[in-house]
Amino acid sequence: MTSTDAPTTTLRPTDLAEASAALADSAGRVLIRGAGTAADWAGRPEPADLVLDTTALSGVRAHNPSDMTVEVGAGTPLGELNALLAEHGQQVALDPARVRLGATVGGLIATADSGPSALVYGTPRDLVIGATVVLADGTVARTGGHVIKNVAGYDLAKLVHGCYGTLALLAEVVLRLHPLPEASTTIRLAGSLADAARAAGQVLASPLEPVALEWSDGGLLVRLAGGAAALDARAERLVSLLGLSAVRLRPDEEADVWAEHAARVTGRASLGGPAERAPEGTAVLRVGARPSRLAGLLGELTAALGASAVTAGLATGIGTLTLPAEPDIVARAHQLVHRVGGTSVLRARPAGATAPGWGPAPSSVGLLRSVRDELDPKGRLGAGRFAPWL
Amino acid sequence: MPIGATARRDFERAIGADNVITDLAQLRSYECDGLTGYRVVPALVLLPRTAEQVAASVRVCAAHGIPFVARGAGTGLSGGALPVSDGVVISLQRLRRVLEVDPVDRRAVLEPGVTNLDITKAAAPYGLYYAPDPSSQQVCTIGGNVAENSGGAHCLKYGFTTNHVLSLEVVLGDGSVVTLGGDSAEQLGPDLRGVFVGSEGTVGIATKITVRLLRAPESVRTLLADFPSIEAAGEVVSDIVAAGIVPAAVEMMDTLAIEAAEEAVHAGYTRGVPAALVVELDGPAEECDEQFERVRAICDKHGCTRLHVAADTEERAAIWRGRKSAFAAVGRISPDYFVQDGVVPRTRLAEVLGRIADMGSAAGLRVANVFHAGDGNLHPLVLYNAAAGETERAEELSGKIAELCVELGGSLSGEHGIGTDKACSMPKMFGEVDLAVMARVRSAFDPAGLCNPGKLLPTPRLCGERPGKFRPHPLEEAGVIDRL
Repeated sequence: MTSTDAPTTTLRPTDLAEASAALADSAGRVLIRGAGTAADWAGRPEPADLVLDTTALSGVRAHNPSDMTVEVGAGTPLGELNALLAEHGQQVALDPARVRLGATVGGLIATADSGPSALVYGTPRDLVIGATVVLADGTVARTGGHVIKNVAGYDLAKLVHGCYGTLALLAEVVLRLHPLPEASTTIRLAGSLADAARAAGQVLASPLEPVALEWSDGGLLVRLAGGAAALDARAERLVSLLGLSAVRLRPDEEADVWAEHAARVTGRASLGGPAERAPEGTAVLRVGARPSRLAGLLGELTAALGASAVTAGLATGIGTLTLPAEPDIVARAHQLVHRVGGTSVLRARPAGATAPGWGPAPSSVGLLRSVRDELDPKGRLGAGRFAPWL
Repeated sequence: MPIGATARRDFERAIGADNVITDLAQLRSYECDGLTGYRVVPALVLLPRTAEQVAASVRVCAAHGIPFVARGAGTGLSGGALPVSDGVVISLQRLRRVLEVDPVDRRAVLEPGVTNLDITKAAAPYGLYYAPDPSSQQVCTIGGNVAENSGGAHCLKYGFTTNHVLSLEVVLGDGSVVTLGGDSAEQLGPDLRGVFVGSEGTVGIATKITVRLLRAPESVRTLLADFPSIEAAGEVVSDIVAAGIVPAAVEMMDTLAIEAAEEAVHAGYTRGVPAALVVELDGPAEECDEQFERVRAICDKHGCTRLHVAADTEERAAIWRGRKSAFAAVGRISPDYFVQDGVVPRTRLAEVLGRIADMGSAAGLRVANVFHAGDGNLHPLVLYNAAAGETERAEELSGKIAELCVELGGSLSGEHGIGTDKACSMPKMFGEVDLAVMARVRSAFDPAGLCNPGKLLPTPRLCGERPGKFRPHPLEEAGVIDRL
C-alpha cells in the first residue's frame, strides 16, 4: 500500500509508547499497514509521508483461558493467535479468507472483514470487547475492558471497525473467545445459486443451526459444528432434509471446498501465499444485501457485468465476486447493489486501477466527516480510503 | 431558565398543541426513571406521534438551544432518562408500531416505543424471537434497549442489543436524520451504528430500529442446582466453560436472595442453601441432550446437594420466576435497598463475593447477591433501613462495590448503564484522556451538546451533587417489572 511517487518514511513501532510517539512526532499523511493483505482494498490511498507498520505491535499481552478473553497487540496475525488458542480449545471465532494469508487482528478489524462463520459469531465488532487506539496527534485512548459484558462509556472500538486506517490507529485489542467445537462437518448440495437459495431457506427453517451456509463453485456448503457425539445424528438429519443429492464430505474434501471458497473470496486462483495475486485486470467486489435479495443480485451482476467466482452467504447476505477492474464496470456494479439497498466495497484492485472503491454515499457521510474532523482534524490518517466521501 | 413562549409555540406548531405537556402535575410523572433517587421536573414534555415529529421537535430544540432527553418506558436504572430542568423530555411512547416482520430475512422493523416483549410476540407466529431479554422486557422499549445496549439473562450465548441491531434511523442533535448500519452486517465505513447503541441517549434519538430475529431453539433444558458454597457453584460455572459449553444462561443466587425469592413467589428454591445455580442450555436436540448430561455430571462432581430439572415449560417458568423476582422480593426482607451492576472477570467471582461480604460486615449491612454468573455481571443488593438512618452508609457501600469491580479488572456497569448514577465513578475506570476522547466523539454527533446533557460522562456540576433517597419505581412496586 506504499505510494509510488512520494518519498515515505516507514516506522515500525514495537510498543504503544512508540506508536504514540510516531504519530505525535511526525507531520503529514500517514498510511497504516499491517500484513498488507488488504492494501489494495477500498479507496486508493493517496501518497503518504509516513507508513506506520503495525506488525511489531504484536503478541499476546494477556490470555485468561477461564475468562475466555485475550488481549493482543493489533499487529498479531490472527492465524498465529488462533493456533496458540487452539492449545486451550479456544478460538477467536473469525474466519475471513485472508487469515490464510497472514492478516493481522487489527487489519481484520479495520476492514470489518468476516468469513462464513459470521452467520453465528458475527463480524469482528461483535468479538472486540476492549481496545487501545492512538489518534493522529498521538493521543492514546482506551475503551471497553476485559469483560464481555460492559456498557461503560462510548465504544471507540466500533469507530475503528471498518475505518480502513482513518480515524485512529488500533494498537491493542481485547477479544472475546469461543470454545473450539469438538467436531465439524460439511454437507454439499450441488446446484445453481437459485437452487441453493431455496435449499438454504429449508436449512434455516430447520432447527439444525449451521455455522456456515455458503454457495460457492456450483454447490451449497452447509457446515455443522459442535459436540462429536451429536454431530453424526445432526449431519444425517441435514442430509435427509436436503435430499438424495446432498453429500457429507470427507475431512479432506471439506478442507478443499473451504479453501476453494477462500480463494474465490480473495480473487485468487488459489491461496498459495501472499505473493500470489489476483488475475490480471480483475478486482473483487464485496457486497452485502438482504439475504433474500443476494442470489438475484449476484445473478444480475454476473449476467450484466460478467462477474465470476461468485460466493454467496445465503443467510448473512454477504457475497463476493470477481469483476473486470474497469472504472465504468465497477461503478455500474456499485449502482446495481445500491439499487437493491445493499452495500459494496471494492477489494483486490490491481495496481494502478482507478475503479471506484465505493458506490453512492450513505446518508451518514456527513456524520462520518464530523467524526473524522473531531478525531483527526488534519485528515492525516488514511487519506483516499473513503474517497470521494472523506 | 424556563422555555420561552416562542419556543413553546414552535413546539406546538411542530407536533400539535395536544402533544405538548405543560401541566405541572403531568410533568411530574416524567421527573425520574427507574433510579428514583434522582428527580428533576422538565420544562416541557413532547409526545410526538411520528418519526418526522421527533425530528421536528429536535429541530426546534436546536434552533432555540434547548436541551432534550429522550425517554422510552422510563425503566432505566441509571438515571439515563433523568430530565434537565430547563429542557424538554421527548417521550417515544406514541411511536409503538411494529412496522415490519420479515420471516424470510428474519428481521423486524420497529418504532422506538415498541416493547421488547412485543417484538417476540410479533415474531412468534413465524417460530422466531428477539433474543435480548432484559427482565423489564414486558414494559421496556426497544428504543431504550438501544440507548442502554441492554442485555438480559440469555446474553452469555446470544449477545447484547448491539449484536442484534442491523440498522437505525437516527435523529441527530441538529435535527438531521441519518441511517446507521444497513441490510446486512456489511457497513459502509466505520460502525457508527455500534457507537450509537449504548450511548445512553447522548448522541441522538433512534426513530426506526431494524433488529435480527432468531429461530426458536429446538430444545431447551433448564436445571436448578443447590451447592454447599458459593465457591463450589463458581467452580461448576468454570468447569462448564472449560468443557467448551456455552449455556444459554447461568445464574447464581446466594442464601439471602433465595430467601427473598421464596418469600415472594414460592418457586421451589431451597431455603438456607449457600448457593443456587440456574443453568439453561438450548440448541439442536442431540447437542442439547449431550451437553446437559455433561453439566449434570459437573454439578455432581462439585457436591451438588439437590438438582431439579424442569420437566416442562411450566416448571421452567417457575425456576425463572424465582430468579427474576429475587430483586423485587428483597423488599420483603428489607425496607430499602440499592442495586449495583458491576462486572468482574468470571474467574474472580468468588473473590469479589468474599470481599463484598467483608465490606458488608464492616458497614454493618446485609448484601444479597443475584447475578449472571456466566458473564461475571453482579447485582449486589445492599439492604438497609432508611428510617434507621442507614441510607448514607448503604449508598457508600454500594458505590464502593461498583468501584471494587473495576479494581478487579471489570466494569462499573454490565447492563444498567452509567447515566446519572455512575457518571462520577467513570474516572475510576477510565483516564482523563480516555474520557476527553469520548467527549470528542459525542461532540461529533451533537456539537451543541443538547442531547441528554450531564449523562454518561462526569461533569463538575453533577459530581458535586448528592442524590436523594432511593425509592422503588412505581411499576416495580406494582410488581410489573423487576430489575435483574
